[in-house]
Amino acid sequence: MGSHQLASLIRMANQIAENNRHVGDDAAVAHVVSGHLSRFWARSMKQQIQAYLEAGGEELNPAARVAIAQL
Amino acid sequence: MLQHFDPNKDYGTPARLSENLITLQIDGVAVTVPEGTSVLRAAAEADINIPKLCASDNLEAFGSCRICAVEIEGRRGTPASCTTPVEAGMQVNTQTDKLARLRRNIMELYISDHPLDCLTCPSNGDCELQDMAGAVGLREVRYGFKGDNHLDAQKDESNPYFTFDPSKCIVCSRCVRACEEVQGTFALTISGRGFDSTVSPGQDQPFLDSECVSCGACVQSCPTSTLMEKSVIDAGQPEHSVVTTCAYCGVGCSFKADMKGSEVIRMVPYKDGQANHGHSCVKGRFAFGYATHEDRITQPMIRDSIDQPWQEVSWDEAISFAAERMRAIQAEHGRESIGGITSSRCTNEETYLVQKLIRAAFGNNNTDTCARVCHSPTGYGLKTTLGESAGTQTFDSVMHADLVMVIGANPTDAHPVFGSLLKRRLREGAKLIVVDPRRIDLVKSPHVETQHHLKLRPGSNVAFVNAMAHVIVTEGLEDSAFIAERCEEQAYQAWRTFISEPQHAPEQTEAITGIPADELRSAARLYAQAGNAAIYYGLGVTEHSQGSSMVMGIANLALATGNIGREGVGVNPLRGQNNVQGSCDMGSFPHELPGYQHVADDAVRSRFEARWNVELDNEPGLRIPNMFDAALDGTFRGLYCQGEDIAQSDPNTSHVEAALKALDCLIVQDIFLNETAKFAHVFLPGSSFLEKDGTFTNAERRINRVRKVMPPLAGKADWEVTMLLSNALGYPMDYQDPSEIMDEIAALTPTFTGVSYDRLEELGSIQWPCNESAPDGTPTMHLESFPIGKAHFAITEYVATEERSSRRFPLLLTTGRILSQYNVGAQTRRTDNQVWHDEDVLELHPHDAEERGVNEGDWLGVASRAGETVMRARISDRMQPGVVYTTFHHPGSGANVVTTDNSDWATNCPEYKVTAVQVVKVNQPSEWQERYRNFDEQQQALLAKARAEGRGRKSRSRV
Repeated sequence: MGSHQLASLIRMANQIAENNRHVGDDAAVAHVVSGHLSRFWARSMKQQIQAYLEAGGEELNPAARVAIAQL
Repeated sequence: MLQHFDPNKDYGTPARLSENLITLQIDGVAVTVPEGTSVLRAAAEADINIPKLCASDNLEAFGSCRICAVEIEGRRGTPASCTTPVEAGMQVNTQTDKLARLRRNIMELYISDHPLDCLTCPSNGDCELQDMAGAVGLREVRYGFKGDNHLDAQKDESNPYFTFDPSKCIVCSRCVRACEEVQGTFALTISGRGFDSTVSPGQDQPFLDSECVSCGACVQSCPTSTLMEKSVIDAGQPEHSVVTTCAYCGVGCSFKADMKGSEVIRMVPYKDGQANHGHSCVKGRFAFGYATHEDRITQPMIRDSIDQPWQEVSWDEAISFAAERMRAIQAEHGRESIGGITSSRCTNEETYLVQKLIRAAFGNNNTDTCARVCHSPTGYGLKTTLGESAGTQTFDSVMHADLVMVIGANPTDAHPVFGSLLKRRLREGAKLIVVDPRRIDLVKSPHVETQHHLKLRPGSNVAFVNAMAHVIVTEGLEDSAFIAERCEEQAYQAWRTFISEPQHAPEQTEAITGIPADELRSAARLYAQAGNAAIYYGLGVTEHSQGSSMVMGIANLALATGNIGREGVGVNPLRGQNNVQGSCDMGSFPHELPGYQHVADDAVRSRFEARWNVELDNEPGLRIPNMFDAALDGTFRGLYCQGEDIAQSDPNTSHVEAALKALDCLIVQDIFLNETAKFAHVFLPGSSFLEKDGTFTNAERRINRVRKVMPPLAGKADWEVTMLLSNALGYPMDYQDPSEIMDEIAALTPTFTGVSYDRLEELGSIQWPCNESAPDGTPTMHLESFPIGKAHFAITEYVATEERSSRRFPLLLTTGRILSQYNVGAQTRRTDNQVWHDEDVLELHPHDAEERGVNEGDWLGVASRAGETVMRARISDRMQPGVVYTTFHHPGSGANVVTTDNSDWATNCPEYKVTAVQVVKVNQPSEWQERYRNFDEQQQALLAKARAEGRGRKSRSRV
């Protein structure tokens, strides 16, 4: 993967989604995750994870993918 | 300062709180006091001072010395006024010929067995025995001094901070009672009978070998120089005092710094301290010598790279160097390539200024604080559920609790003064539940025994708290009226449905938590039905991958049972460092301006922009772990770190070290060359708490004044240094005094609008919120409503941590703290507290030790997926099998070499409490420890060279 930050961001995004899975389906979880990232992540972190998603984002779980796409 | 009583006066017996008032006559003066008050205290409140020796107003009356005898009309004899309660219409005479003779006779007996060395005695001028001899008019000792006596009794000088000289003891039992009633340790007793009676620590042991925890309560209580601070023996009596606030844990004790000129002679717990009421622990009371330790660095230093020698320079040179480097980094790598870290060891004013510098002068929100690695989940969890990022009670509230549940906290070690208050309440009969993988002292100590010790497995907190809630809901133990009135209906119903699901039943969670279902059910019933049930929690809650979920789960429990909004209940985070609450309040987090106001809120930001005259970024900045990752990626290259030692305190040391090495400019402001400073390019000498003016905010939201007792050794206060750096960066700051900084904080922070130094002087301390709605502050939060209107039940699904034991790493390591050391130990390691804990050790259960052939004291390699270190074994049945424990007070022990970068899902608070490890016997230090030793030696040599050259320059300039 090459980037320390990116590896952490992927893990964090997946972890946030996993801890909010009770909210409902992937779309509902994604809404909560997106709000969390928007509220707590730095601009550079958001940009990096968005770029990763655009490049395929294979290691992101489904809810995290939707959340990042909504940012 | 507003005083209801004179904190410098001893009223003889404790105050009583009865609403029934009693009027009596004392020496012809009408005195009205609450029912239950002693005659001794009633007289003292009327400024009629009856002689006394064995009485003290922090101890229950004992009635042994008889000096305080009085005559009461209509009664025979001369009763002791300390043990005689007032009665309506009582006519008391405190000064009669009969009493004068009696008191002189008693004093004669005392003095006949007391050394007459007053002029050379260290208590000279501060001795109650001497004072009473004067007060009763003692002029002769008819018995002579040739009879049997104790004058040759041997001193016990084993304790590093005080001596015990039994030749001066009058066996008044004040020390014994202070150890029992105030501290709750019961380390002292009176052994022998009659003439042989003597104060005995433990089983007639030296103090150092006994259970004594060196809190100083006995020394404080001693009316003679029997128990005496060694610093007073060495230096003599102090000549003035300054009241200030302790720099150690989140209890925030008030102390009188007893001074001779600018030298601290001793720290005496301040009786009017509203957090500690005159009690202290070994750290605050005695471990202040680090402030003048020879390791203090008092000259600014710079260097181009960390393998080069330091160069001592002037303040101007150091500040210019730092500013130029930071600006050059931003010019090349962008505005967001630098940031800063504020400290919970610094004042509110200093912290506020650092985050302001970052936001206004650096032009980004890359500010974070050490609360990231301790209580950031408290901020998130309590704000989500209760609407405010703070605990709900005063410490004194515990005295109204019927049941206390302590989760993941060890108050007798980490918050000792609160621990003593809690034990006092438990001795009065309150019930106790301890939730901890380890058998902490509270589980069983003298006259304290927990009803339930729930020994959960590390990492299973949320499964535990959900099971508690499940029992409460499914067994109908909720407070339905409270929920209906105070909580959001929709969120509650969703939570109720969730928590009622069968997977949360204790019978199901038992396999996860290790807590027997029956015991958990009993504990849940006890909590729900106690009356007033209070939860106190620590880092065993927050430092997990589900730290925030667990905080919300705790709040759910309190809401479901209506244990919020009055005294004796609540959700109480015990903060590790003295100003954790304050550093969070002051806007240290990257997403929040002071007062927890989000940076994306345009209205909030515009108020700050107008006051600060600068445009602010509306996006959150990097948190500390994000800064490390970005540093390794090369996008974050400059860091200003005030008062923190991230190289030792943060997890996965090798990762942190690599990140620090990758920085182009690391500015460290500290009092010592700490572990982080060894990676620095600029060292700005900081001030200890004794050199600071400002405020700290303790765990009960109490803002206390910190008062300078000596000038800053490096010539500048920390806030002045931040200001210089800001000005050099081109953002003007011009404060003349820390009070002006507080005025600015109050103007911008809705919960602080009523706070000022004048109000603090008037009230002594203030618990925020303090504003128009609460002009004198808010001791208990959420009395009638929550800041978010109605409280929010949060769904807390248990998600197992990824950090699990395996065949390769079969044990779970959890880390914590010990009484005598504080955090990274930078302060306490430079005091005599070292005698109690001079190295970190690995505690493991006898079963795990036997499986590995480990004996007490063996060297053990402790390996995780993050790294490996070596420490000595301590075999202890405090541990449960499969769980090992250590502390992180000594850098060379490398506890955080082993901890991983796993963190809380919501806040990135590291998961210090769960690391899968293997433990094997070894015979040499780990590779990291070898590297650490070499690097440390190199950096110490570079520092020594700089200091030698600096001394040389100074001596040449004098010639």
